[in-house]
Amino acid sequence: MTFEPKIVGILCNWCSYTGADLAGTARIKYAPNVRMMRVMCSGRVDPTFVMKAFAEGADGVLVAGCHPGDCHYIDGNYKTMRRMALLKKMLAEYGIEPGRFRLEWVSASEGDRWAKVVNQITEDVRKLGPAKFETKKSKRRIPVPAA
Amino acid sequence: MKRISIDPITRLEGHGKIEIFLADDGGVENCYFQVPELRGFEKFVEGMPVEEVPRVVSRICGV
Amino acid sequence: MAKINLASYWAAACGGCDVAILDIHEKILDLAAAANIVFWPIAVDFKYEDVEAMVDGHIDVTLFHGAVRNSENEHLAKLLRRKSKVLVAFGSCAHMGGIPGLANLFNRRQIFQRVYHSSPSTANPEGIEPQTRTAVPEGELTIPEFYDTVRPLDDLVEVDYYVPGCPPTPNQIWNVVQAIVSGQLPPKGSVVGASDKTQCDECHLKKNEKKITGFKRIATAQPEQETCYLEQGFLCLGPVTRGGCDTRCQLSGVACRGCYGPPPGVVDQGAKAISAIASVIEAKDEAEIERIIAQIPDPLRSFNRFGIPGSLLVRKIL
Repeated sequence: MTFEPKIVGILCNWCSYTGADLAGTARIKYAPNVRMMRVMCSGRVDPTFVMKAFAEGADGVLVAGCHPGDCHYIDGNYKTMRRMALLKKMLAEYGIEPGRFRLEWVSASEGDRWAKVVNQITEDVRKLGPAKFETKKSKRRIPVPAA
Repeated sequence: MKRISIDPITRLEGHGKIEIFLADDGGVENCYFQVPELRGFEKFVEGMPVEEVPRVVSRICGV
Repeated sequence: MAKINLASYWAAACGGCDVAILDIHEKILDLAAAANIVFWPIAVDFKYEDVEAMVDGHIDVTLFHGAVRNSENEHLAKLLRRKSKVLVAFGSCAHMGGIPGLANLFNRRQIFQRVYHSSPSTANPEGIEPQTRTAVPEGELTIPEFYDTVRPLDDLVEVDYYVPGCPPTPNQIWNVVQAIVSGQLPPKGSVVGASDKTQCDECHLKKNEKKITGFKRIATAQPEQETCYLEQGFLCLGPVTRGGCDTRCQLSGVACRGCYGPPPGVVDQGAKAISAIASVIEAKDEAEIERIIAQIPDPLRSFNRFGIPGSLLVRKIL
């Protein structure tokens, strides 16, 4: 049985999620391995989300936003660029292969491109195999503030 | 042979244990001192910027 | 009021937390008046067998410092959990792994190779390594098993309170002791002995607008002492670190390295540090971004100096 990667996708509402929607309405066939989450802007993507996805069992993570210069909120995706660049360095230091994490720009009209991006990351992660992470034996507890 | 374990040794910095083996006449046959701790500073500072190392290795001993 | 039974134990620790407790100076007399010390290796002669012999719950409060590095640390974590009504993860190591947690970028094999064989000052021609069991003419000697991965205390047992800091400051320790003795503690699982705000809230340096165009190192540049270090391009974890330590480092002319752990609501201090610091880098194209971030040597150990074992990813995959 071939390994089916579990990939978490975090897509910005205005461009990439709409682009993914277009791939759907255009009936483009592509790999089903990316579980998609919608955020309003890729600038919302806290590196914590990516790490948490890996910690909870994702084999790969894909963050997608508007092309630089086209961000619905003007400069949100520049923050994304900077955060993800630093995150990539840190993930490498944790021993995570570069192919497991991608940042891609997909516009609302790029249904084709979305399919290609998903197929590409799926194949890259399939070749790398399941991710092997040490898990915390107990879930980190965030205390509930007193009422 | 009687065996006395002193575990842990106390009132100093660090972990240690002492095993004393007594012969039948009560004299010390042999005595072993063991250090049951290792953290590996020698390894994990490799690759750190030199100016950061003092801030890390000061935690070898807080005393 | 009856004295409480107090214990303090060091796992993979350095003794700094013990010294910090002693640094409450003459208040140690008040502590001695309020508490029976029933186990404290640095200061009194109780043995592990004395703890094993205690009735469960005999200890009112245990301050557990040091990270869990080996099987003895694990055994004591579980033993002290059983014997204590309240177990406090005291100091960065117990809270989130601490400095010994940096070993999570390596494994046992690599560490042993360096320590016992390849380090320049080691003479070990027979290639001897410590074994968990060693046969000697008189019997067998044992030492703990050294694990591949360092863990914070709450990975092993349920922790009641966390006191952050490397080490916690004596002022905060005294606050915590008073809270314990008076029974006025917040809900279980809380961080105590620290502020709920970040370092920046307490820091005396002048803050303007942050637009970082490059990173500097104190090895090659001198920070100006009146202005925010981060603004000047010197990496500072103040924005993602809990306050409460009186900003000792910043007052001494160096940037914060995050020992008081993440602020409330932040799960991974390193991830949040990336987020915060990347937000204030002034660059809009990939090449410029790469140029700037290349000036941060050693990102993981810079953004998460004290909390790798407590981070979401725990350790480097090897």
